[in-house]
Amino acid sequence: MKFEAEVISWLPQLRRYARALTGDTAWADDLVQDTAERALARWAAFRPNSNLRAWLLTILRHLYIDQLRVRREVTVDEESAPWRDLVAPPGEVDGLVLRDLQRALYRLPIEQREVLLLVCVEELTYQEASIALGVPIGTVMSRLSRAREHMRVLLTEGPARIPTPLKVVRTP
Amino acid sequence: MSQDDHDFALPDSLKPADLRALSAFIDGELPQGTRAAVLEHLAQDPEAAAQVEAWRSQKSALQALCGGVSQRDATDGPPSFVVVRVAPPWWRRISLAACWLAVGAGLALAVGPLASRLPSGWIGAQPMSFARRADVAYAVYTPEQRHPVEVAASEEQHLISWLSKRLNRPLSVPSLQEYGYSLVGGRLLPGEAGPAAQFMYENSDGARLTLYVTGITDDETAFRLFREGNRRTFYWVNSHMGYALSGPISEGKLREIAIDVCGSLGGKPSSWKE
Repeated sequence: MKFEAEVISWLPQLRRYARALTGDTAWADDLVQDTAERALARWAAFRPNSNLRAWLLTILRHLYIDQLRVRREVTVDEESAPWRDLVAPPGEVDGLVLRDLQRALYRLPIEQREVLLLVCVEELTYQEASIALGVPIGTVMSRLSRAREHMRVLLTEGPARIPTPLKVVRTP
Repeated sequence: MSQDDHDFALPDSLKPADLRALSAFIDGELPQGTRAAVLEHLAQDPEAAAQVEAWRSQKSALQALCGGVSQRDATDGPPSFVVVRVAPPWWRRISLAACWLAVGAGLALAVGPLASRLPSGWIGAQPMSFARRADVAYAVYTPEQRHPVEVAASEEQHLISWLSKRLNRPLSVPSLQEYGYSLVGGRLLPGEAGPAAQFMYENSDGARLTLYVTGITDDETAFRLFREGNRRTFYWVNSHMGYALSGPISEGKLREIAIDVCGSLGGKPSSWKE
């Protein structure tokens, strides 16, 4: 398959991941667009027969982190957080459970959220995740288990025990 | 990356604290022997078993939340989101680059950028490249049934502000209601020298027109027609913005609509009416 066509074939998944990662549809669309542009412009940097999807995810991740830095402060406001507007799909799991899950997901530090989404939602293998994140597999495993446990604690604590509705996350 | 990281010591003392192993167990990332050992351990450790259960349901809930496996529309249908960029395959680019090197790097540097800036009249009657892109984008997106646009017309305000932001100038979307076409929505595409926006319209018979908008360096007022297959594209330039209206309808009709669109977007269609 042509390189361009292959990049194109991954865009729907990239978009799903970007939406889950940012919790912001417009931001996610921008991220995917930027990722595609950068990937197509840097086709020469891609080694044939290596994992294109992981490579694309790495580009997206770098762009996201850069953009987080530019924004410096990400206000996680319970009432106006952009992920409030993301519509959870109906069926299967109860809507309220999903709402809590969503709240917990965006409380995770970015390193935990990304690995959790890559493995659970995007179903990357640990090896692929390690390529996408640029860390050893052992680190993928520890981050992932910490993320899961963090989520579980947030979910069992419930909203009542979460003290502040407004949280400002400062990125270094 | 080595697989060794998987083979951490196990299992004679699998503690509930060994979260990594439990986590890898859920994802099916444990080697066969270790997996069996974890299973055995879970049978005797209700706390660890409860943890695995909680994490499992967390995983399926995340998939439900983020449109997980059930929304794999990429594998069984056309992609919902596509970037068009007409580029030669890598081997051709490489051989082209090699030729240039043989000719002389200096010459390549001098002539390469120039060649792309030659006015279209120099090379026969080539349409301006943005018009070609507009035509290709028409051909790619209008057959889409499920995802013809990225942002639907129902979110017109978001659509306009998003695309305006990306093109770095205020855009407006002309109404084609009087011709029976209503706005379906729009999408962002990479153009030659920056992003481009494509707006799609549809009439009650399902026929579609697209308006393609992009910033360009040239600024000529010509109004031109470009044909490809059964498609027609009228295109023009106004204040460093290139516009192209494409569709498979009759030239006369498309021209009439294009003149109207040009006027409503601040152009001066009178200048190119014969």
